Order: sequence, then C-alpha cells, then structure tokens
Amino acid sequence: MGIYEFKVKTNRGEEKNLSDYKGQVLLIVNTASKCGFTPQYAELQELYMKYKEQGLMVLGFPSNQFAEQEPGTNDEIQNFCKVNYGVTFPLFAKDAVRGEKAQPLFKYLVEQKGFAGFDESHPRASGLMNALKQKFPEYLEGDSIKWNFTKFLINRQGEVVGRYEPTTTPASMAGDIEKLL
Amino acid sequence: MVKVYSIPDCPWCEKVKKYLKLKNVEYEEFNVEEDDEARNELYKISGDQIVPVTTIDGKNYVLSFDKAKLDALLNL
Repeated sequence: MGIYEFKVKTNRGEEKNLSDYKGQVLLIVNTASKCGFTPQYAELQELYMKYKEQGLMVLGFPSNQFAEQEPGTNDEIQNFCKVNYGVTFPLFAKDAVRGEKAQPLFKYLVEQKGFAGFDESHPRASGLMNALKQKFPEYLEGDSIKWNFTKFLINRQGEVVGRYEPTTTPASMAGDIEKLL
Repeated sequence: MVKVYSIPDCPWCEKVKKYLKLKNVEYEEFNVEEDDEARNELYKISGDQIVPVTTIDGKNYVLSFDKAKLDALLNL
C-alpha cells in the first residue's frame, strides 16, 4: 500500500485523499496543542511559505495523545491559544497517531521509517528522554511516534524518505527538503 | 454587548467565559475557527489570530485571561 491510497479527515470533517497531493513533496507532522509555547509551528509555517511555490506541502495532524506541554517548557507557558495553530497549511482532524488506535496513515509511516534515536544535541533531548522514561516508558519501545512534532518527508514519487524526531527543528530540515524539490 | 472571540480546546477562553458568567456579564461568543467573518473581525481588532479576545466596542480589547484588565474594560 502506498501513501497515495490513504484517506484522511480534514479539521472540518471532510474526507481528503492523499492522492490529491501526488507529485508534491510532503512534510507530514503530528502536531500538539494550539496553546502556549510551541515554536515548531512557526518554523513549519516558514518552511511552507518558503517552499510551497516549488511544490512543498505541509500536512499537520493534531493528536491529544501526548501531554499538553513539551517537557521543560513550563516556565514558558503563554496564556493564549492560536487560531488554527497560527498556520495556513492544511490541518486534519484530531486523531490518534500511536498505539492500536493510531490512524492507518501513521501506522504506515512508522513502518516505512523506524525510530533511529533522538538528536542528542537538541537542548530538549535529554528532558524529553527523561520525561518519557518516567511517565511513558512504553512509548520508547519500537518504532512508534514518540512525541509531538515527529516529521516525515515524502518525495515526489510518494516514498517516505526521512523521519525526523521532535528533537530536529523544522528549520534544520530545509536542506533535505531542497534536495527533493 | 460584550464579545468574546474564542476557539475550542482553549483553556484561557474557558476561563474568560467562566469569569464573565460569574460576574453576570452577558456576552456573545464567536468560534473563530469555524466563523470566517468573526475571524476577520478579530484580525481587525487585534491584528493577530490569538485568542481569547474580549471587547465591547471593537477597539479596546483584552487579550487572554487577565482579571484586572477585564475588570477595567467592563467596569466590574
């Protein structure tokens, strides 16, 4: 089964075929709360604005499976929420991305690209690792989605060519995206 | 009429609405994730797409849940 055979639901409840995005470079990401300090949204939006003319499409899949806040950012909680997460790329209906109830697309993505560890140089890597060990040790097993903002890159042929953990910033993916465009 | 611009799953929006109810302030609520017209209004008022925003006249507004500022805006 290829990526273009999947159907997903938009945040307005309409069905969308991923085949509608055939021929584009796709960046698929599971997103988090629309409230508080979530800098990856801004970077994803920047990537989208920068490369959309060249054929990049960012697809956001909110889930409520992870704790609302990124570990280690409690001091940075901001007391507002952003309409549509402050982004203009397509957002899909809130749904599971890990475990038995995970939506089929995400089961497929983690089969195609397994977990290869966090980027230890990211300032939040050790905090995220500790939080997972303490609170959700089972999340660390296997290839499942570990946390919000796990990113998958799909080339124009529909192949899943990259997986980037939450510890990789969207901005640092620009080079890899350019190679596919 | 007091207007509250809000979205679902927004704890700060809930706090504002709860506070207004507690103070017996009648208000009209706009879900700006669904209501495109209200979202444009919100943008005109605050120049941003951040919620909650509370206003009476569409000019002066309070962003987020700030008791002191809400009291001042609504003469509570």
